[in-house]
Amino acid sequence: MIAGATVLVTFQWQCVLLGAVLFGLGLVGFVARRNLIVMFLSTEVMLQGVLVNLLGFNAVYPTLNGQSFALFVLVIAAVEAAVGLGMIVLLFRRRATLDSEAWKQMSG
Amino acid sequence: MVFYLVPVLGGVAVYLAMPGARRDGRFGPVVLGAIGLGAMVVILAGAIGHSRVLFYVLAMLAVVTAVRVVTHRKPVYSAVYFLGVVVCVAGIALLAGAEFLAAALVIVYAGAILVTYLFVIMLAQQSIPPEYDLQAREPAFAALAGFVLIAALAGPIVYRPPPEGASAREPRAGTVDSGKAGGRSASGLPNGQTWHPGNTLTVGTELMTVHVVAFETAGVLLLVGIVGGIALATRRLGAPANGSVGGAP
Repeated sequence: MIAGATVLVTFQWQCVLLGAVLFGLGLVGFVARRNLIVMFLSTEVMLQGVLVNLLGFNAVYPTLNGQSFALFVLVIAAVEAAVGLGMIVLLFRRRATLDSEAWKQMSG
Repeated sequence: MVFYLVPVLGGVAVYLAMPGARRDGRFGPVVLGAIGLGAMVVILAGAIGHSRVLFYVLAMLAVVTAVRVVTHRKPVYSAVYFLGVVVCVAGIALLAGAEFLAAALVIVYAGAILVTYLFVIMLAQQSIPPEYDLQAREPAFAALAGFVLIAALAGPIVYRPPPEGASAREPRAGTVDSGKAGGRSASGLPNGQTWHPGNTLTVGTELMTVHVVAFETAGVLLLVGIVGGIALATRRLGAPANGSVGGAP
């Protein structure tokens, strides 16, 4: 046991911890990877972390707001995937590469 | 009866893992073995009544597969490992009593979004692994940033002050848990029987009553996404880069 640490007894804090880890891993992938598709997948991992977070807090409060909001997050993820992947296909047809460095000029 | 599926899965996994059984038989056995192990853990946890064991197993699997998503060199494998993350999160949703969300996760993420990703990956596939998949961009700084964020988020959770009194409570099983939205009494049931609305019913009622405006807005957003996707997909290439292209008037 870690000295001074409170035991992660409740489902809520377990979920929050897992959500934080997933979010951080997604951030690492988004920053480090150069493939546009993998960068998008990393954002999806971050969204999964958010979903776990919402589930954890939903277990505490006597409402269903967490689950409802998680469903809306799902909708956002679907729309984001559709539009984002369409853009990626367009970018790939223009430059024939998925390297995000190829579009460096957009950073100004 | 269900338990016998576990050794069958394990046997198939070991067979596929044998050298020479299949040429590319490296990934299949891992998935099958993981499913078998997972099913065994589910059965064991059900037998000894430890849903906490299940949570830890799912959490570890989610983290491992998430690491593979962001580290694997082939995007196809990243996408398939992302499927593992989604399935683990759906399992955690089941543990939290959110059955409808678990089903929606599997259907929407694993069924729709992931297939779109796989289509795009196949469209943009190259025969030799390109350089940008083999060399990450500033991996040390990225890992530093990400794990500093993880530490900053997790530290206050692990070292939080002990709860005063009964602040947080454990989630309970599905029907009991979904009853917390309740207030819906059964009519027309025989005497002495109580009726627990399922999670799908309570969430659906919540969506269509409390969050109905947001629900309709989400529908509009989906429509906008469809229009945007079609507008992007039907663009013509070869137009001047600074001019108006595609469907623009």
